[in-house]
Amino acid sequence: MLLPLLFITPAVAVLLALSIYPLIYSVTISLQRDTSSGTVWGVGNFTRLFTDNFFWTAMAHTFVYAVAALTCEFLLGLGLALLLNAQIRGRGFFRASLLVPMMLPPVVVGVVWRLMLNPDFGAINGTLKWFGISTESLTWTASPRLAMLSVIAVDVWQWTPFVFLVLLAGLQAIPQEPYEAALIDGSSRWQTFRHVTLPLLKPAILIVLLLRTMDLLRVFDQIFILTEGGPGFATETISLYIYRTAFRFFDFGYAAAMSFVLLALTNVVSAIYIKFLQPPEAT
Amino acid sequence: MDHKKAHSVRYLLLVPALVFAVAPVYWMLTISLKTEVEQFATPPPWFVFTPTLAHYYDAFVTRGFGQYLLTSAIVAVTSTACALVIGTLAAYGLARFELPFRLNRRLSLWILSTRMFPAIVTAVPLFLMMRDVRLLNTRAALILIYTAFNLPFVVWMMRGFFADLPRDLEEAALVDGDSRLGALVRVALPLVAPGLAATAVFCLIVSWNEFLFALVLTQTEAAMTLPVGIAGRVTQYEIKWGVMSAAASVAIVPILVFALALQKYLVRGLSMGAVKG
Repeated sequence: MLLPLLFITPAVAVLLALSIYPLIYSVTISLQRDTSSGTVWGVGNFTRLFTDNFFWTAMAHTFVYAVAALTCEFLLGLGLALLLNAQIRGRGFFRASLLVPMMLPPVVVGVVWRLMLNPDFGAINGTLKWFGISTESLTWTASPRLAMLSVIAVDVWQWTPFVFLVLLAGLQAIPQEPYEAALIDGSSRWQTFRHVTLPLLKPAILIVLLLRTMDLLRVFDQIFILTEGGPGFATETISLYIYRTAFRFFDFGYAAAMSFVLLALTNVVSAIYIKFLQPPEAT
Repeated sequence: MDHKKAHSVRYLLLVPALVFAVAPVYWMLTISLKTEVEQFATPPPWFVFTPTLAHYYDAFVTRGFGQYLLTSAIVAVTSTACALVIGTLAAYGLARFELPFRLNRRLSLWILSTRMFPAIVTAVPLFLMMRDVRLLNTRAALILIYTAFNLPFVVWMMRGFFADLPRDLEEAALVDGDSRLGALVRVALPLVAPGLAATAVFCLIVSWNEFLFALVLTQTEAAMTLPVGIAGRVTQYEIKWGVMSAAASVAIVPILVFALALQKYLVRGLSMGAVKG
């Protein structure tokens, strides 16, 4: 009994100290509020959530961002995976090149797209001007109207490759037999896709949707570099608002309280994911 | 004939996607190599310009990016090494020992679930903890946190590799009088070496790319990682496009080299939550 402990204890100890203890600590922070008469214990930070417009706006931004990006990434990723799921020349080259955005550090993605989207000398407006298109109203991340669209587009640029990669792997794991059977039955291409490909691809689709949803709900890095949540608060998602509360206003208690709402949201998704990944019982 | 036509349709759609994926990165590379006059020229010179290395010199010699680069490398390598040692031990334990109370399964799931916390949730208490123990603005703080962060991933990857390995060889070593640890190091590890290497590369990429913890925990020149250094330059009023692009271009080199070496393991690694925190 002692031997397994020697192997497993270090990992458990590290995780207890640096993942679980911080969460417990965070609970105690969230239950404290600094007032003029000293620190007060209570659920004040949590009740404040209900009347805080910034919080609800940030939540709304997060949902808009997540739903829009997830939809685009899924449709584009599936399309690309279907396109590359064939014996075509240069397949490996296409696959490797399409994966580039996903591997980049998020900070670099931010830099790349600041360069692309700059209204005055960015590559996009510069190239549009060259074609004689007026770019006066296309101020991208600087415009409250276009900023959200811009940050969503950048997310789609970076993470569609991930969806594509997982779905392509899923497609390649499907055996040939069902397709042969469908061919004999005289199914149309759409019918084959609908009744053979999609059902067999379901596990891969589920994995990719859950993982992307988790990441989208907590998005921080690229938006921070691209707009810092602005202009105004037009692109402030929940993670950015928590960051601002904690590290600009130093209101750690309220930041901790908000972070538990985010944790609850992502936990619902991760619980489904972990249930789905169930390891084999007997190992 | 029909086959050929179908393929040209595929190319017709794939080529624009390829351009869209790669062109922005290429654009940044050109900015890092252009003089300021050419950076702001209209129409933007996509292909024809006079390359210069002045921005690279400026970033890494004149300004502090050489220091950030060093910090990033030290933090990434050290935290990866720690996570590999601790994680491989646990993975081996979970794969080879029969624990009571279905602990194998429960511990594995618990370990994985710690990987799913959003970074900002633990960033707030970790900042306060590190402040209390006076580890703010140190490499040690980042090394500790990245070790914990990569650990679940290492455990899950390596557990899978060990589970695929037949037990007979290690049992033979045990019969010959080797200890369990000896059997792991001398018999099992060499057999899972490719998997171990892939896992290491994933950890390196995660640590190298990580931004939020580094932003929160390191604000001094001496402790800053490359992403934080780059971000600091972006959000200032006057943006040095050339310097920023040069630093960012250097930041992607190790990633691209590693990623190409890793293609085979990408799907397995990514669905265990590598790359993104």
